[in-house]
Amino acid sequence: MSDHTTRDPIDRRRFLTVMGVSSAGAAALGGCSTGKVEKLIPYLVQDPDQVPGLPTTYASTCTECPAGCGLHVVTREARAIKLEGNPEHPINAGSICARGQAGLQGLYNPGRLKFPMARHGSGHREILWNEAIDRLAAELRTAGNRVAVISGAGPGTFDTLLESWVTALGGRLVRYQALDHEPLRLASRSVFGQDEIPVHDFAAAQFVLSFGADFLETWHTPIENQRGFAAARGFERGTVAKSVYVGPRANLTGINADQWLAPTPGSEVSLALGMANALLARGRAPVDAGALSVVLAPYTVAKVAEDTGLSAEAITKLIDEFAAAAPSLAVAGGIGAQHRGAIDLCAAVHVLNYVAGNVGTTVKFGAGVKGGDGYGALAALERSMAAGEIDVLLVHEANPLFTVPRAGGFKAAWDRVRFKASTSLFFDETAAGSDLLIPNLHPLERWDDAGGGRNHLAGLIQPVMEPVYRNVATGDVLLQVARKLGGLLAQQFAVPSYQVHLQNRWAELARARGADPAAFWREALQRGGVFGPAPAATVRLAGNITIGGPTQIDGDGEVVFAPYPSSMYYDGRGANRPWLLENPDPVTKMTWQSWVEVNPETAKRWDVRDGEIVRLTSTTGSIEAPIFIYGGIRPDVVAMPLGLGHSEYGEYAKGRGANALDLLSAQDGQGFLPYLSTKVRVEKTGGFKKLARTDGNPRELGRGITESIPASLAARGLTLKQAYEELGKGHHEINTERELEAITGFREAQVEARKFGDYAAEHPMWGMVIDLSRCTGCSACVTACYAENNIPFVGEADVLRGREMSWMRIERYFEGGEDGEPFKASIIPMLCQHCDNAPCEPVCPVYAAYHTTDGLNGQVYNRCVGTRYCANNCPYKVRYYNWYAYAKLAFPEPLNLQLNPEVTVRARGVMEKCTFCIQRIRGAQHRARLEDRPLRDGDVTTACAQACPSGAIAFGNMNDPAAKVVQAAQNPRGYHVLEEINVRPAVTYLARVVPGAEA
Amino acid sequence: MTSVAHDHPHPKMSHADVTRDVVRTLETPSRGYYLALFSAVGMFLVGVATFVMLLKDGLGLAGYAPPVFWSVYITTFVFWVGIGHAGTLISAILFLFRSPWRTAVYRSTEAMTVFAVMTAGLFPIIHIGRQWIFYWLLPYPNQRFLWPNFKSPLIWDVFAISTYLTVSTTFLCVGLIPDIAAVRDKVTGWRRKLYGALSLGWTGADSQWRNYTRGYLYLAALATPLVLSVHSVVSWDFAMSIVPGWHGTIFAPYFVAGAIYSGIGMVLTLVIPLRKVLKIEHMITEYHFDNLAKLTLLTGSILFYAYAMEYFVAWYSSNIFEQTTFWRRAFGPQWWAGWSMIICNAFVSQLLWFKKIRTNLTALFIISIFINVGMWFERYVIIASSLSNDFLPYAWGQLNPTWADWGILIGSFGWFGMYFLLFARTFPVVAIQEIKEMIPMPRRKGGAH
Amino acid sequence: MTKVVSGVLGSFKHEDDAVAAIKGLKEKGFRDLTVYSAAPNHHLEAALDHPVSWVRAFTLIGALTGCAAGFGMTLWMSHDWPLLVGGKPIGAIPPYVVLAFELTILYGAMFTVIGVIVLSALKSLRGRAYRPEFSDDTIGVFVPCAADQRSSVRTFLERTGSEEVSEHGA
Repeated sequence: MSDHTTRDPIDRRRFLTVMGVSSAGAAALGGCSTGKVEKLIPYLVQDPDQVPGLPTTYASTCTECPAGCGLHVVTREARAIKLEGNPEHPINAGSICARGQAGLQGLYNPGRLKFPMARHGSGHREILWNEAIDRLAAELRTAGNRVAVISGAGPGTFDTLLESWVTALGGRLVRYQALDHEPLRLASRSVFGQDEIPVHDFAAAQFVLSFGADFLETWHTPIENQRGFAAARGFERGTVAKSVYVGPRANLTGINADQWLAPTPGSEVSLALGMANALLARGRAPVDAGALSVVLAPYTVAKVAEDTGLSAEAITKLIDEFAAAAPSLAVAGGIGAQHRGAIDLCAAVHVLNYVAGNVGTTVKFGAGVKGGDGYGALAALERSMAAGEIDVLLVHEANPLFTVPRAGGFKAAWDRVRFKASTSLFFDETAAGSDLLIPNLHPLERWDDAGGGRNHLAGLIQPVMEPVYRNVATGDVLLQVARKLGGLLAQQFAVPSYQVHLQNRWAELARARGADPAAFWREALQRGGVFGPAPAATVRLAGNITIGGPTQIDGDGEVVFAPYPSSMYYDGRGANRPWLLENPDPVTKMTWQSWVEVNPETAKRWDVRDGEIVRLTSTTGSIEAPIFIYGGIRPDVVAMPLGLGHSEYGEYAKGRGANALDLLSAQDGQGFLPYLSTKVRVEKTGGFKKLARTDGNPRELGRGITESIPASLAARGLTLKQAYEELGKGHHEINTERELEAITGFREAQVEARKFGDYAAEHPMWGMVIDLSRCTGCSACVTACYAENNIPFVGEADVLRGREMSWMRIERYFEGGEDGEPFKASIIPMLCQHCDNAPCEPVCPVYAAYHTTDGLNGQVYNRCVGTRYCANNCPYKVRYYNWYAYAKLAFPEPLNLQLNPEVTVRARGVMEKCTFCIQRIRGAQHRARLEDRPLRDGDVTTACAQACPSGAIAFGNMNDPAAKVVQAAQNPRGYHVLEEINVRPAVTYLARVVPGAEA
Repeated sequence: MTSVAHDHPHPKMSHADVTRDVVRTLETPSRGYYLALFSAVGMFLVGVATFVMLLKDGLGLAGYAPPVFWSVYITTFVFWVGIGHAGTLISAILFLFRSPWRTAVYRSTEAMTVFAVMTAGLFPIIHIGRQWIFYWLLPYPNQRFLWPNFKSPLIWDVFAISTYLTVSTTFLCVGLIPDIAAVRDKVTGWRRKLYGALSLGWTGADSQWRNYTRGYLYLAALATPLVLSVHSVVSWDFAMSIVPGWHGTIFAPYFVAGAIYSGIGMVLTLVIPLRKVLKIEHMITEYHFDNLAKLTLLTGSILFYAYAMEYFVAWYSSNIFEQTTFWRRAFGPQWWAGWSMIICNAFVSQLLWFKKIRTNLTALFIISIFINVGMWFERYVIIASSLSNDFLPYAWGQLNPTWADWGILIGSFGWFGMYFLLFARTFPVVAIQEIKEMIPMPRRKGGAH
Repeated sequence: MTKVVSGVLGSFKHEDDAVAAIKGLKEKGFRDLTVYSAAPNHHLEAALDHPVSWVRAFTLIGALTGCAAGFGMTLWMSHDWPLLVGGKPIGAIPPYVVLAFELTILYGAMFTVIGVIVLSALKSLRGRAYRPEFSDDTIGVFVPCAADQRSSVRTFLERTGSEEVSEHGA
């Protein structure tokens, strides 16, 4: 697949595509996977690894964020239909986040560029690939060494190729990723002399303290963090690590923490140093830490209290608990507290970890994670662009025209550059501003490698299908351009294709390890890469460490503006993917819109209500967005998610919401972009916009939906009921004795009456257990469910009517946060409970809802006439109705290529709901039948359980005493939601264990 | 029956007058009548257009907002079924009770019943998601022998409503036969032929009367439990579910009372102008309205009690879900609906304690409008507001209706009005033979006794 | 045109005259009188004193059939396609009572109507004289009799106060 400018002979993958056309479920493929398929040609020779009707899985690596998780790409009839985690990959171990899965909607995005384009007047026009390459070569020839490349590609073969290519041209390469972690790296350099971002072991920590690091959303390697965090909180060891979040706004990490501390923005450093100081005083620190006393001495509890505005008691309590826990873990460097003093904060936290003896145990150096060159390097490039020193600029896997605050001079500098080229797959802001568009292939269509920047990890990326559009991988573009330029360059880059180049590199790697290149390559391809043990570097404190104190947030407004990275849109690249736009923000449960978070007190003072549109004005700009009243934010702070407000980037993203970056100055804060750096003025506009939030009522109203139990009681193996008695707290309304007699009384008769026809025989009984101690509400399961079950998105207008179709929804309930009450939140995944006494079944007039022999609550789509009585009668409200022909609207070509052929696409007017992934159950049963063996525990798992990075969901046969799910269900923490209405759900929840002695 | 027939003020007129006056109502109608008819047809067309849009795009056009999966359509369905009940009550139950004042009004109320049920019958079809396969709800022998689920209250509904429609239609037609014969013998030309055919050769011979009177009696006897059952079944659509605010044992009697209340409301709304237009004031008199009003007062008071009981039970049960539902019904986002139901039904009906109001037709007419509005809101509140807040607060949502909801509502009134107007001009809206039955024939010896 | 039944038809404006006439005719041994009236009239019924109509038998049979049909249909159909819903028994009697009830009423009503029509039709009125005013305010008495008896019947009817008497038949 090197050069597609000339018609190449039909290759193997073409055959697959063609076969795909002829096979059921993929009829649409011929139309759009490539413009070239005209007629259906049956197999002449059956391809060994392609059986029509059976999925083929390829190992690959995720590039949706720099973490570099391992993927298993499920393909059917030669098109990718689902992204799953690679169980062998050390970072994600088989799980995957929402953004990672949404990579598919990048692959099949209707907004993808179908061909190379060149500027033509005000717009762009289509050109041929050889024209494009000639054009780029020509421009480079004239530009000489006045060339620069901005690349967001993480470390790996492509990066090295690009570097040598740019060097050969004599140009400059700037590695830039928005939301990079420069402050952390720079702090490591100043404190330990290590120019890298440490790797953290959350699982081992007994106490997790975060200073503005959203480690469950976007910070560093979210899935790895979440896996560790869940392990530390999952109560396996009979203990649970306490978690405290320090920052102006409680994000997902914050609401998952047991305590949220909100010091004055900019003063977090004082708290970290104060704690380090106290720990040092307790003499548990390594000997060489003594040198720090000079730096730390001033930070007494009193001073910390004064700086941060926290009470001395709270600070002392925190210190005591932190000191008592070993090992503990403190993390920093998130956007949540990335103010001008971010480096000091990270340094202080490094020091804190050092004196607490965490460095080497929960904070590990040696993996060599660098991140990019940082915002500072980009700013430097901007200066030389502005000075007219750059003639040709190539932008790869980055969207600086969106991610760099508009207030700065970047756009002006950009316009000074004579010729700009973009390799973006989409027509994003940068592409729109470029003269040449040479769209790269999607990572699922090309060869590459990525290791999340860790020396010991090398993940392979392989094409799993025929490219959706016949574009050229940028790696090949580089080589072809080099060849066109001729001379030394041509000699240096003589490899025929990037794929060959990649294989050569891996051959070297193999030889370095004394392995046979061919076998090594084959095995790496099968396993998704090579994953060595993490190298550990012992680090020591650098000499003369200086750490600055609290920072002031400047600006003339009355409130501090805290933009934060959305766990769905990341740096904005998620904004063109309906799966992410409609997957509610885990904290606010907002979809499709931008919003401004305001504390209830402040809202009262300003007399604004939810949805009221306000104008935020900073010294550098102003934007408008609706108010979202949120108890988890300081009264003197307003917060806003990043990633929306695109002016280009396809139909789903364009013109949606506002871009929080418009309020920031683009000024470089010693090598990084300070996000928490300005105050804003807020004024009403008189406008109103109904919020597209999916929580009808954010309060639980004492209905005991989400339960929690103190660790001390859980450790004694108490059930919830016992725990409530122990605590002398009234449980919410549960059946009276008489009711219980009645229920149990007619239960036997009921069970007897069922033994009829097929129901009399022995069957499995499918059940699920969800551990609320592990669940963080990250919503990866939601996207997994969308992908597996062909769930359509409904769009903003219908979300406003509460018509979203998410079979799996994460319910989030707030507590307190108003008039002095401490702010808390609880989270519970809600899906069809497959009740034994399902209220939805008997009311269906046509038996469309009925109970299957294996205990599932079946829904027969083509029998359903749409009376919707079942949904009215469902106490969990987990039935979803096709008010329109959503499936038609939600899967425009080529998004329809992602549809799972195993699952019916529902028609208009029918009810649908979670099926416990019945297609997977039946598939496993068929396999077992073919292999002539009984179904084993673990043969079946649901999409949600499979994706969950926390491992919070267990699924299996409740009639199999050996099944894990059965053991999990017997946990004393187990309870059913709405137990009192006696519907006997098949889903058991395990109460969340909270540290300490009271719930 | 004559014994009863005499201790009340029957119209002072001869049999001949009765025939004359009633037949006169069937003569060429006024301009006002055509105006009414055309506006009714117009409203009906609005409904048709809306339904076409629903078929084309889907129910999403209406304001449904999960968890409110039923809203204006089911509300209006229950409203029309309810209307029907007054007719059968007056024509069947009061017939068995030998209550004399029914005779003058029962024909029009019975017609109202039939047309109201015809209207209601459309809604289950309109409101389902795949209207084109509504017949799957019927137990017809199909290729794969897929039967409906008789445990579902919706199937009970199908049977109850269709039975009700059939029986009340039969009842109406049977009652019409002798009157059609009477009209036949007064008119000429094609109309004579038409009524002749419709009278099925009725001559009023003794051999016909003796079977007829018996048959009519048994029909009444069968219609009586039916009318009580139909709205009970409708109420069970809700009571059989577990939705807080629906799941109540009080529902059947509560709904039946409400149905009759709303039905009489509609009777008043229709008959008060009708008797003027048709110039039959001397047949439908104050005396009749006074009695209708008393029935309204009775049923209205039953509703008052039912409302009070619902709140009491919600509080007394100490069931937090019920309590929230009823709290929100009064003070939640849809408080206005809740209060308009209580004021229009429970309170306004209490005005009828005063005879002055009971016999003042203008007052009665205004009250009857309140009743219609109030009863529509009652169903709206029961359905929409109960659904909007059930067990899981996270899933709560508020309905706000759209043009598609109102379009169908308007259409239903047009459809009903159209039929009623056509009926009033084609058939005697006053039962000739029953009036005559009450007016003693002249006697040579001693005159009328 | 059906053959005209030979006989005499008398009209009465006064109830008691008609009653007297009917009684008299019956004494004279005239059977099979046909008495027309615009509304059911107890005095006439008393005078004629027919046995109670058989309609009720139809009603009863209909109702019982309906009840049986109701239970039969629901029970058979739910066992013919046995699906478990909400953990309830396959054939659950309580909900089926509702359907049985509805069908009881439906069949009962339909049979009653059929009864009325059938029973009325049994007594053919073809060829018997009729006057439009009978459906208005006049009672009519038709006395079927041989041509030679007509004049005596006529005089009897006129004596009992019949306003208008006419002879019919060849």
